[in-house]
Amino acid sequence: MKFKRGSVNDEIPTASMADIAFLLIIYFMVTTTFAATRGIDFSLPQDDDSPLVDKEESVLIEIQPGGVLLVDNKPLPLDNILEYLKPKLERNPMKPVIIRANEMTEYGYMVSVFDELRQAPDKIGMEVKNVSIPTQREINMFWY
Amino acid sequence: MADIAFLLIIFFMVTINFEVDKTQVFLPKTTIRLEIPKKAAYISITESGQIRVSGGEEISVPVHPEDVLSFAADVVARDPQKEFVLKADQSVPYRYVDGVIDSLKQAKARVIYLLSEQETIDTSAGGG
Repeated sequence: MKFKRGSVNDEIPTASMADIAFLLIIYFMVTTTFAATRGIDFSLPQDDDSPLVDKEESVLIEIQPGGVLLVDNKPLPLDNILEYLKPKLERNPMKPVIIRANEMTEYGYMVSVFDELRQAPDKIGMEVKNVSIPTQREINMFWY
Repeated sequence: MADIAFLLIIFFMVTINFEVDKTQVFLPKTTIRLEIPKKAAYISITESGQIRVSGGEEISVPVHPEDVLSFAADVVARDPQKEFVLKADQSVPYRYVDGVIDSLKQAKARVIYLLSEQETIDTSAGGG
């Protein structure tokens, strides 16, 4: 039986390295999901004892199913809310604004109202500082 | 070539984002969008009102709506500064979201991020 001698290659074969690397690249490219990692922030009240803001003093934005907005019981398009709030905020920058969505309202409408209020610095030059979104339990407990 | 390939691999490995919650939802669109901190706790609500939660490290698990409070209280007890991300479908009835927000309020959560997509001119023109 004959054995080959002296022809043992002492280098690590790297010719296939690029192929392996590209396979890994393709794997990472396919599995990378560009997840939505942005959103609109909403700070919750930290003071436990703070009662719900006074209904009489505040601007109440009610959102009906289908996205119809009632601002202080009057229908108002989304684009006009900030115009409506502006004179009130000029008198009282801490004017409370309450967003109250009907339980059957689609969540997207509530987010668009909240987004509109957050855009106030760009649109009317002043911030809506005091936005509260009471939950049904809080309404039942404190409001009526 | 291999060097370039390895650079690309390292880029993908660093930037890869392991999603803790893979629930498919149609997110609402907003103009204001802030970066959500990594490791935030996730609560997702599908269109039919199914809720899944994740503490930020592990893959999300489905929970009963009544258990969201105990989950949130547990997360806040571990880290009082923990941010919560609400990933809810834009067409979910608000009462489901209301229940979750109420649980987070009771658990003394500090801040909620409402996960959203970028609003474009086209969508805002027809939206309301």
